[in-house]
Amino acid sequence: MKDRLLEIRDLTVSLKKKNSSIPIVKGIDMIIKRGEIAGLVGESGCGKSMTARSLMRIQPPSAIVDGSILWYEADGTSTDLTKLKEKELRKMCGPQIGMVFQEPMTSLNPMIRIGDQVAEALLIHKMAGSRREARDKVIRILKEVGIRDPELRYRSYPHELSGGMRQRVVIAMAMICEPKLLIADEPTTALDVTTEAQILKLIRQMCTTRNMSALVITHNMGVVSQLCDRVYVMYTGRILERAPVGEIFSKPLHPYTKGLLSSIPRIGSNPEYLTTIPGSIPETDQKTSGCEFCLRCSEDERRCFFEMPEETGYAEEHYVRCFAAQHRMEAENE
Amino acid sequence: MSENVLVSVHNVTKSFSLAGTFKKKRHTAVNNVSLDILKGETLALVGESGCGKSTLARLIMRLTEPDSGEIIFDGTDITSLSGRALRPFRKRMQMVFQDPASSLDPRMKIRDIIAEPMEIWKICPDRRERAERIMELLEMVELKESALDKYPDQLSGGQRQRVGIARAISIDPELIICDESVSALDVSVQAQILNLLKRLKKKLGLSCLFISHDLSVVDFIADRVCVMLNGEICETAEPDILFTKPQHEYTRYLISSIPEIKAFINGGKNEYHQ
Repeated sequence: MKDRLLEIRDLTVSLKKKNSSIPIVKGIDMIIKRGEIAGLVGESGCGKSMTARSLMRIQPPSAIVDGSILWYEADGTSTDLTKLKEKELRKMCGPQIGMVFQEPMTSLNPMIRIGDQVAEALLIHKMAGSRREARDKVIRILKEVGIRDPELRYRSYPHELSGGMRQRVVIAMAMICEPKLLIADEPTTALDVTTEAQILKLIRQMCTTRNMSALVITHNMGVVSQLCDRVYVMYTGRILERAPVGEIFSKPLHPYTKGLLSSIPRIGSNPEYLTTIPGSIPETDQKTSGCEFCLRCSEDERRCFFEMPEETGYAEEHYVRCFAAQHRMEAENE
Repeated sequence: MSENVLVSVHNVTKSFSLAGTFKKKRHTAVNNVSLDILKGETLALVGESGCGKSTLARLIMRLTEPDSGEIIFDGTDITSLSGRALRPFRKRMQMVFQDPASSLDPRMKIRDIIAEPMEIWKICPDRRERAERIMELLEMVELKESALDKYPDQLSGGQRQRVGIARAISIDPELIICDESVSALDVSVQAQILNLLKRLKKKLGLSCLFISHDLSVVDFIADRVCVMLNGEICETAEPDILFTKPQHEYTRYLISSIPEIKAFINGGKNEYHQ
């Protein structure tokens, strides 16, 4: 229990429409341990960003969030973030939880010098006694995220920096108050491979040196394998499989995870054609009582259509939500 | 050799002026580049953003004028052609863009989007014939007939990209330029589109200039790869050779940067996770 930092219990998010509500996140559980990097993977529209946003209560106004998000202190006591008052939660965002957004161009204010933008959080949370002290701290963190000439760059505007540099500034903004948890929503999607590699290394390094935890949201399995310790595979608002990173790649159990992995072209494998998952993700308003993946699944059974399989454990910390995978496990055990 | 070459680019340079009207500062986007695209070949162009890949593609399409050098399409120098003389060549090359949402007119139905190039080039003027051709194209890109009466925003990203491909191949071009055509798509959709492109290329004998920053995609689809750096081509090789024996330092750097998951598949551990 002591190594836990954040626990999400049965989180549901739905979007209110005129006279109905569309479920986006359908009851997910997640545990983030101290110093651990968790990865949330899935295709666009599966609810991964909505999950991250609801953690910090920055979901769109039409979204209804239910469930509990428990934040553990070092002494083992916990608080439920969903029950906190707005003011109390805002005090958490920054000093405890930092967030990195996908598009570094839109998450920076084009009219304000980057140094002042990074310093803003410090001043709001009164973590610097004076402006001078804030400035020193900003310069230190800019240097830490790998920006050359931080004194000079302090006075730059966002448009004067390249994409990779801007993303470093956004990371610096999230890190300036030394949070215990970093939420990174597609942190490298807009970047070149070479820059991507540098940013991934940077996040990993920051987590190790400060014993910080991170929740990384991505659709790129390569990023997951490089960065994360634990992986959650999400599809249409549900976690279908969760496991330590090595397990997910060496022993994927869910047909969706397998499909995702085989869809990635791999250097040196030279297949004639790639194995694909047929079809496309179902519409959000489509309702089924069974497994949402069954229409695209290669191992579907009749009951998949009517019944949602329960989560079953395969190995320590490796859980899957699939009937076919359950059968295979049983056969393996006999 | 020369009979097999569809497009030949010789020492092409293109620069753009930077900032202020009166400043003389210029940025050379493409610097003295030469390359050949063979008939039926997929040539990939890789490099970081801003290295001049897209500018080179636009130069080949004659959407921008080169400062110097020449572009030879099937034996004819098209660098100096203009207006009417260039038109027949325009029909022979088509482009598939990166963002299918912004490259399709939101106010046109899919049927009209696919038919527009044929309209312009007066191909299949007969109504029944045109309808048949559209159906044939739909089948080729694996779209359902019901898509025809929809608008682009009613389709998913993958379906939109299929429409973009159908539009490009509707007038039987010889060269297709795919500018980051799969990079905006999810992995499972990306795999479907990549398979489609490979299948179509084989079926129609197309030449393809495939621009991408994703080396693993390039390895899958390309026959030859050109690596671009700061407006120059620093290495050209077949993918097998490029990935096993990269010659240029920059190529090596690019390859080392790919988030690789191979280690896990083989049961081993990644260098990051000791």
